Amino acid sequence: MSQEHSGERDGQAPGSVDARSSRPAAIDVDGLELTYGDGTEAVQGVDMTVPEGEFFGFLGPNGAGKTTTIKVFATLLSPTAGSVTVNGFDVTADPRKIRESIGYMAQETNIDPELTASENIRFACEAYGVPRGTRADRVDELLDLVDLVDVASKRAEEFSGGMKKRLDAATALVHQPPLVFLDEPTTGLDPKARNRLWEYFQRINEEGTTIFLTTQYLEEADQLCDRLAVILGGEIVADGSPADLKRQVGGEVLDVDLEDGDDARQRAASIAEGFDAFSDATVNVTDEGISVTAETARQHGTDLLVALRDAGLTVTGFNIRAPTLDDVFLAITGEELAERAPDQGVEQ
Amino acid sequence: MSTPAASTRSVDRTSNTVVGDTWVTFKRWNLKAVRNPFVLVVSLVQPIIFLVLFTEVFGNVAGQAVSRGIPGISYETYLVPAIAIQVALAAAVTSGVGLVNDIENGMFEKVLVSPMNRTAVFVGKTAAEVFRIAIQIAIILGLGVLLGAEIATGVVGALGIIAVGILFSLWFVAFSNTLAILTRDQESTIIGANLLQFPLLFLSSAFLPLEALPDWIQTFARLNPVTYGVDAARSLMLDQDVMTVVEVSWFEGTLNGVAPGLLVLGGLAVVLGGVAVYLLARASSSDVR
Repeated sequence: MSQEHSGERDGQAPGSVDARSSRPAAIDVDGLELTYGDGTEAVQGVDMTVPEGEFFGFLGPNGAGKTTTIKVFATLLSPTAGSVTVNGFDVTADPRKIRESIGYMAQETNIDPELTASENIRFACEAYGVPRGTRADRVDELLDLVDLVDVASKRAEEFSGGMKKRLDAATALVHQPPLVFLDEPTTGLDPKARNRLWEYFQRINEEGTTIFLTTQYLEEADQLCDRLAVILGGEIVADGSPADLKRQVGGEVLDVDLEDGDDARQRAASIAEGFDAFSDATVNVTDEGISVTAETARQHGTDLLVALRDAGLTVTGFNIRAPTLDDVFLAITGEELAERAPDQGVEQ
Repeated sequence: MSTPAASTRSVDRTSNTVVGDTWVTFKRWNLKAVRNPFVLVVSLVQPIIFLVLFTEVFGNVAGQAVSRGIPGISYETYLVPAIAIQVALAAAVTSGVGLVNDIENGMFEKVLVSPMNRTAVFVGKTAAEVFRIAIQIAIILGLGVLLGAEIATGVVGALGIIAVGILFSLWFVAFSNTLAILTRDQESTIIGANLLQFPLLFLSSAFLPLEALPDWIQTFARLNPVTYGVDAARSLMLDQDVMTVVEVSWFEGTLNGVAPGLLVLGGLAVVLGGVAVYLLARASSSDVR
């Protein structure tokens, strides 16, 4: 199955993000701080507005404060300071109104292993007040969505990790909430299941559902999200559309593959850093060689390759490309986001 | 072919009610109980073994001690109310285990993030456990009658004994939930609650009249909730006031043996229930400044 839905969002006119911001805010945060009882300052002054209908991606390395922030929005944690409004309701004053109007899929899989797949979804329908008459249809619909029809009456404890995750996703969507929080929803899913969930998230987003997604998979964020924010050490350090963020990295990326070991890579890196034709280059040592990001990478890339050869280094390959979100992430946080979407299924 | 649509966004929602949320939770926990018939059976096996072995092995000896205090009753009749209380005790242990499981598999959080009424969720879960205890006590009473025990107050008394058993179970339900929240660990909860089970049973009026027991046990028994539960249930069984540790004369006869037990157990349930509810409320909102 191919991922045919890419591109469309990146190609959006720059103005369209602004146009969206004239819509009412699904999430409005001002000066959010959260300090845990043990003194950990997990979130330190986050401001953000997510307009209704947006597909919003929240990125950051582990421990950056993503899950803490999402738990404040879902009313599971009370903010230490700041104001947070979700669907127009204040998190401290009106948590119940928020609970009625959001779907929340936690990072850990939250299901009852002793109940069957349909019973889990049915329980969620009852908990969220899906009207009695439509419950049975809704259960069938969601079972089909997450490909669990065949095991509908099997207990969830017999399921693989990916199946449990899919079941959990289904239970978060029973009441068709206008705002859905997805905390790393596709971690551990095989590509087929992941694509299917992506399609569904995209479809409900096109129908008007606001989606707030955290993910470790940057391709996922790139393909799905209208706008992204990057959180680091409890603070938001960058935000914008994927295309904006990539532009901020500046220029293009030249990847150079080198023979020989670590020594050669270090030497190459220092040559690239001192290379006059690149005024503001960012140079990183990679597993294969080096990666140089610069405005003029395309024009003067060959000059660098020649300089490397003249210095006695063996270039085994090279590639000039536009920056990806991985480069954005590397530039902002100084570290690569560890995980990529796995090409091989984790389950089945 | 492709996935079904979430066709309309404007889904009508029926709003949550306390009764509705209690019922939904009650149903979930009953379903889970039925899914684990093993647990249901095992928690009955031990009390049944006690009932059969005690009457067969100790029947003659204990019967004499019993009939010195309360003339004219068999040891079966004497023992059945105690076994009913034992059932309540054993079943209440599993309440905390259920809570630990819910925390571990994330259902606790799932419910917290839902619009369900939190009190209703707590009540619904406890109601499911109490429902199970009622059925198990009924089974024990039936078995006791088959073995020759007599319920002097008949069906009404049997229902009364079940009610006493339920009231008795509440403080131990609260206690096992408190252990569950504090330890967040299945084994610790089971061990902690089970450790107490035997001392509580033996250091009470459950198996022998207090007069037949050493002084230190009598002293402990006066403070032991099991004594109050057993004596109240036994008063109903025998249709006479056999409450051993407090004397009241508010009524005529039997009720004087039942009422003080109910008061003590009710008070204990409120206090320990308060502790459990407080801890549960604290656990529902993580430790945040």
